[in-house]
Amino acid sequence: MADTMMGDDSTLLDRQAVVDSIPLIIPAIPFGFVLGLAMTESQMPLWAASLTSPLLFAGAAQLAMVTIAGTASLWAVISAVLVINSRHVMYSAAMAPTFRAQPGWFRWLGPWVLIDQVFALGSLQAARPPESFRRYYVTVGLMFFSFWNVAVPLGMVVGPIVPTGWRLDYAPAVMFAGLTLMAINRVPAAVAAIVGGFASLAAAGLRDRLGIIIGAVAGVVAGAIAEQARAIEPEPTA
Amino acid sequence: MSHSTALLALAVTFVGTYAFRGGLILALAERHLPTSVERALRNVGPAVLAALTVSLAVGGGDDVDLTFAEFAALAAAAGVAWWRKNLVWTLIAGMTTLWIVAAIA
Repeated sequence: MADTMMGDDSTLLDRQAVVDSIPLIIPAIPFGFVLGLAMTESQMPLWAASLTSPLLFAGAAQLAMVTIAGTASLWAVISAVLVINSRHVMYSAAMAPTFRAQPGWFRWLGPWVLIDQVFALGSLQAARPPESFRRYYVTVGLMFFSFWNVAVPLGMVVGPIVPTGWRLDYAPAVMFAGLTLMAINRVPAAVAAIVGGFASLAAAGLRDRLGIIIGAVAGVVAGAIAEQARAIEPEPTA
Repeated sequence: MSHSTALLALAVTFVGTYAFRGGLILALAERHLPTSVERALRNVGPAVLAALTVSLAVGGGDDVDLTFAEFAALAAAAGVAWWRKNLVWTLIAGMTTLWIVAAIA
């Protein structure tokens, strides 16, 4: 059978992708509910707020949008969303070499779901053969996309039903701490992460999560310097 | 917010967000970058994820803080992720540490 969206073992979904996604979906449940509730209280028309889930598919940006809609100018709403999502440019840059080996339809559709979690999991699997990577990415993307488009509308109806005492609000930080460590496989990567983390901390007081961008850029620059130093190192000095 | 304003906001942010996510993937599909740039791109993941983790961990804007229990949870999660390379164990270790340390402290 011709393998279009099917993997080489004839299954549509990648088992490891399912297992990897679940511990990242659980922490997103309360946020989805909170966002759903915020949509019902927003000054944005409910149809438009609802469409942010499939179209923007970006929790923090969606929350900013529905929260300030009606109270801020149109330009302020748009710029808040775009500033928050601007880190995705870096995901696109980092994923570009991996997507080069992929068919056109996937290069166009894949980025739609290139959110934090999908990038974090996908980049850990970038060394897989193209077809295997694609199956993994599609599985993770589908799982997050369908989960989000169920959790948020559910939040509109049920509200924040997960008890705050469970501290699931902190689970995303916990998971991304783990994902960061898993992404460090070489010395320059460690340098990039350490500098990125500290720069983000120094800039944490800035609005619209600008600290993430500042930290990321600082980390990438530091990583590049470390790459350079390593490239020079083995050369004989005599 | 009027319906037409909402539609405009939705359209612009959708196009912008897609362009952020897809722009470089599509632009670089057929061309290769200098080796030094390709090598630097490999560190984007660790740098962004670390910056994102810190932002999620301490908050942002006027509300920046980190409790001892939260710090312990992050350390436990990072340690287990490094050791086991498994996300389920990472979640269990991090959240259990958070609950236990918060209850004791």
